[in-house]
Formats: sequence, C-alpha cells, structure tokens
Amino acid sequence: MASIHIEDIRKAYGDFHVLHGVDLDIADGEFVVLVGPSGCGKSTLLRMIAGLEEVTSGTIRIDGRRVNDLDPKDRDIAMVFQSYALYPHMSVKDNMSYSLRLRKAAKEKIAGAVNGAAGKLGLEPFMQRRPRALSGGQRQRVAMGRAIVRQPKAFLFDEPLSNLDARLREHMRAEIKKLHKELGATSVYVTHDQIEAMTLADRIVAMNGGVIQQVGSPLDLYDRPANLFVAGFIGSPAMNVFEARYRHAGDAAEAVLGDGTTIRLARAYPVAEGARITIGIRPEHVIVGENGRGIPAVVELVEPTGFGTILHLRLDGVHIKAFSLERQAPASGAAVDIRFAPDRLHVFDENGARIEAGKAP
Amino acid sequence: MSVTVAHAHPEHRPVLDRLGRVLEPYLYTAPAVILIVAVMLVPLVLGISYAFRDIRLLNPFSGGFVGLEHFQALAKDRAFLGALKNTLWWTGASVFLQFVLGLILALLLDKPFRGRGLAQALVFLPWAVPSFLSGLNWAWLFNPVVGPIPHWLTALGLMGEPSNILSDPNLAMWGPIIANVWWGIPFFAITMLAALQAIPRDLYEAAAIDGANGFQRFLSITLPFLAPTMAITILLRTVWISNFADLIIVMTNGGPADRTQIVASYIFTQAFRRLDFGYASAIALVLLILLLVYSMLIVLLRQAMLRRG
Repeated sequence: MASIHIEDIRKAYGDFHVLHGVDLDIADGEFVVLVGPSGCGKSTLLRMIAGLEEVTSGTIRIDGRRVNDLDPKDRDIAMVFQSYALYPHMSVKDNMSYSLRLRKAAKEKIAGAVNGAAGKLGLEPFMQRRPRALSGGQRQRVAMGRAIVRQPKAFLFDEPLSNLDARLREHMRAEIKKLHKELGATSVYVTHDQIEAMTLADRIVAMNGGVIQQVGSPLDLYDRPANLFVAGFIGSPAMNVFEARYRHAGDAAEAVLGDGTTIRLARAYPVAEGARITIGIRPEHVIVGENGRGIPAVVELVEPTGFGTILHLRLDGVHIKAFSLERQAPASGAAVDIRFAPDRLHVFDENGARIEAGKAP
Repeated sequence: MSVTVAHAHPEHRPVLDRLGRVLEPYLYTAPAVILIVAVMLVPLVLGISYAFRDIRLLNPFSGGFVGLEHFQALAKDRAFLGALKNTLWWTGASVFLQFVLGLILALLLDKPFRGRGLAQALVFLPWAVPSFLSGLNWAWLFNPVVGPIPHWLTALGLMGEPSNILSDPNLAMWGPIIANVWWGIPFFAITMLAALQAIPRDLYEAAAIDGANGFQRFLSITLPFLAPTMAITILLRTVWISNFADLIIVMTNGGPADRTQIVASYIFTQAFRRLDFGYASAIALVLLILLLVYSMLIVLLRQAMLRRG
C-alpha cells in the first residue's frame, strides 16, 4: 500500500489542454473518488497515474517515488477498466493469474493468491470459464480479482460500474466498499455518478474543465459546496439557485430576487450592499406550505418517487424543485407558498465561489 | 369486414386451389433455386461430365463417353505429377511469404504515425494492378536486357553475371512467386489490419499494467484475436493461388522445361493449346477434389479454434 502525490500535473494534446495544473495528495489506504462530467479530465488523470498517458508537465509520486517515466508495469498498480478488459481467450483463472505468471512467481504463490481472491469475490465456481460465459457482474468481479491478486500499491478504477444495470451497480458498489474495508488498499476511483462518489469515497475530488473544484469528504461537498459547479453537480435533484442582490438587514441580511421578492439570510455575509450574489438551496430544504405564509408559487409537476415526492414549482418565471418525504403532496396546478430554511441557504459570489457567513465586509 | 368460415373439407376445395397450396413453398424458393442451378450447378455438372468424355476441338468425331480413361492417363502423366509438385511449391511459398509480409505490414500500419493514410494507400496499390500487367512488369524487371534486378543482384555478388532467372530451371519458379508475393501482400495487409483494428485497445492497456512486454502482448492478445481471420484468409488465398495461373502463363508459360508448370497452368495448356478439353477437365476435377479436402481441413481447424476461443 502506498500514498500518491500529484503535483501540478498538466496534460495537453497539442494545443488542446485537458488538465490545467492538478495538485492532489492521496493518503495510504484512502479511497478517493474523482468525479465530474464527461471531458472534465478525471479519466485522463487516472490514466496518467497508471502510466497509460504521458505526463505533459508536473510530477506523480507513488510511495514517494517519482513515476513519471516508469512503464505501467513498473508502477505496481492495478487497474479495473469500464469494459473490464478481460483477456477473452483465457479462463477466469488464467486472467487472474496472468500478471503473476508474467512475473514468474512461484506456482504455489500464484495458486494461493488466485484462490484467495476468488474466495473473497465468490468466483470459485467460474474459475475454468471464459469471460464470455459470464454475466456482467461476474466479469466485473473477475476484473477486480485480477487486480487483487497482484497486491499492488494502489487500485485504480475507471468507471468500473458504468456497464452494469442499476440494481447490479448498487450491489457491486457495496461490494467494492466492503472489499476496500477488508484490504485497506489505496484506491482512486473515477466516476461521473455522484451517488457512487458519495457512497464510496473517503474523500471526493470534484473536477470540471481540467481543474479540481473541491476536495473533501462527501458530506463536506454536499453541505458546503465550494462553488456553483459543485453545488449543482453533487445532489439529486440538484440544488436550486437564484440570482439575487445582497442587502444588509441589521445583524442578518436579505437576498433580493429580480422581482423584488426578499429571502431572509440567517447571518450577514462579507459582501457589499447591493452586490450580485447567487443563493442556493437544496430541494429538501424548501418548505412547501398552503397557509399563505411565504412566497407564493404554483405547482407545475408532481413526481412521486415512492421514497418521497419531488415538486416542480414556479414562482415568477423561476423554476425550483422541492423534495419532501411526505406522500401527501399538493396537486399539479395548486397554489402554494414556499419558505427556505435560512440556515440552509448557500451564498455564492459573482464568480460562483462560496461565501461564508459571519465576517464583516 | 365479414369473414366467411370455411365449412368445406379440404378434399372439397377446387383442384387448382389445392395444387397451389402444395406448390406454394416451392414457388417461394424457386427464384433462388433456379438461380443456383442455372449459374452454379449446370456449368459444374457439364464441366465434370467433360472429364469422362473425349472432347478434342480439332477432332470432329470426338465427344464420346470414355469412362475413367482420362484419369488412368493422368496417373501415368509425368508432366501432371511434376505440375502437382510445382503447385505445392508455388502455393506454399507464395501464401507463406504473402502472409508473413502482409502481417508485418498490417502491424506497422496499425501504429499511428505521420503520413499513415498515404502509406496505407500505397500498400494497397499492387492489388489494383491487373495480374497480367504485373506479370509483364516483373518479367521485364527480371530481364537483364531491360530490367535492373539482374544487374543489382550481380552488383551485390549474388549472381555471377546478369542473367534472367526466369530462364534458369532451378530458379525460374522464384520469378512468378516474387511477382505473386508483391501482388498479394495487400490482401493480407488489408484483412489483418481490419482484424487488428477490431481488437479493443484497453486489453493492451490492461496487459501493459499486468506487466506484459510487447512480444507477450502479441502472443496473448493479438495472436488469439487474429487466429480465426488468419485461418480463413490463408484458406482463401491457398485456393486462389493454386488456381492462379495468370502470372505463370505471362512470365514463363510453364517453362523452362515445365519447371514452373503448375496444375492450373497445365490445365490451361491442355485446354487452350492442345485443345483437349476432356483431359483438361479431368485434371481440373482432381485439383477441385484436392482443394475441397484442404478446405475441409482448414474449416475444421477454424471451428476448433473458435470453440476454444
């Protein structure tokens, strides 16, 4: 097991820049998830750690050793691919033992490692089968088994669950988490699925446009998103955001929407009077009532999820979503009024960066 | 819309109606069957029947049935046995060299480099040259009077004095073989390149991480993926090349002293120079059977490989 240090990593294909200087420290045994939309550079970063992409500039260290110019095989890492990348002409057993056979490990050692991994993953009944005779979930397990057998310094996962159906994905997600608990291996996991990121990660690295947007624990990112991108990307349904102007109001403050509606903020923020801000609120923190106290809105659409209800609301041309665990929801077209829990409001400045409350301007 | 329920028994239907029902499936398949029979079976059966008849164009009284006489003559025909041996040599060397060089070319063209598009186009060029033209071209290249190759070989010390290898009984077969290799490499390069490009890239990446070097990656990924394509292309080429007399007819016409006579060119000589169509058909029938046996073997091999893979 090992730590991974990434310093000012850049990647460019000709004039096309994919990564613009990424710094990241991954501790020994940590499970880090790189998350972001397609094309944000997360897979490129992972492939650079693996040695499958050349580093344009910057340094990657695994266990303190600079690996920029090392071949993938000399970095002592294992990777699980989205397509699984199992060798179709080899049995499950041969797939799992391939790396050790190439290293000319002793027969007993290979058998021990392969059987150990097979036992952990429940693969014993399939050891003589070819990959094509396996289901997607089983192939996924073989790909993980192939990685485990090596006992590498770090595991790299490149969207390993994207090819599975929803139910299986949920199941494998739990298996990966369990396996990580058991092995305690340093893991870097790439996904575009924020639920996977939230549930698996010790720390999430949210990326966009080749730049890290925020690094933190899953709840950190959820409760205190560093900017509008993270606020919008983490959480489903997504956070509601409104353009507004800031107004002092004694100890607290208000956000004034375009139509003059004021939303009370719990505390003062270090911004100038009248500054353009964006306020955000998660759907579950929008309180919908029918007693006339709050901002009037109209229900446009009701989406029952079984687990709760998502309401699509409209107030003066602005669309917002509310989520509640209540099943008794207002009907579509009903006039309601909404309130925002003041201590749950997120405030972002003109550039979309989070502003913390409290300090005077 | 009203529906009339058929209350009558089948026997009571009009005769034409019943006939139509019986013939219906045959009518549906008729176009395909007629086409196959007319285009493939009739000529095949006619050709085979010639093998058992005495058909010589210069003898107006020929045409009678002679049974196995042609085959008996064939068994004793030294020229035929020599042609059989030459066919083996010609086909084996041509296919082997075309395959090996074509595969190497495909592997090179599979890697990205500057000007790859142009290189690919150039590699496929010989395929577009008519076989007679390439035969003439190579015959001239080997000719010391007009071609440079004998002079180059002499300069390299491989040849005592510039001479035409096509007139040397011991070397003559290499002339058409070299022309054939040049002409046929594109076939293997194209098919192998297509098969190579269908191999998922992440398998190579996984193998690189697993610690396989280039040669090990070739053995454990490229080769198993290419094997079925290799088998089928080698089968096709073998059949084509053993039937392929153009280059030999143009370059050596079977000579000198029948040293480049293959079965296909021998058939051509018998049919169009001696005008003995009966005997030529008998030879062709033997060649057909040999190739069928060979094809069956390759198909079985491929099946076995696909089952394993």
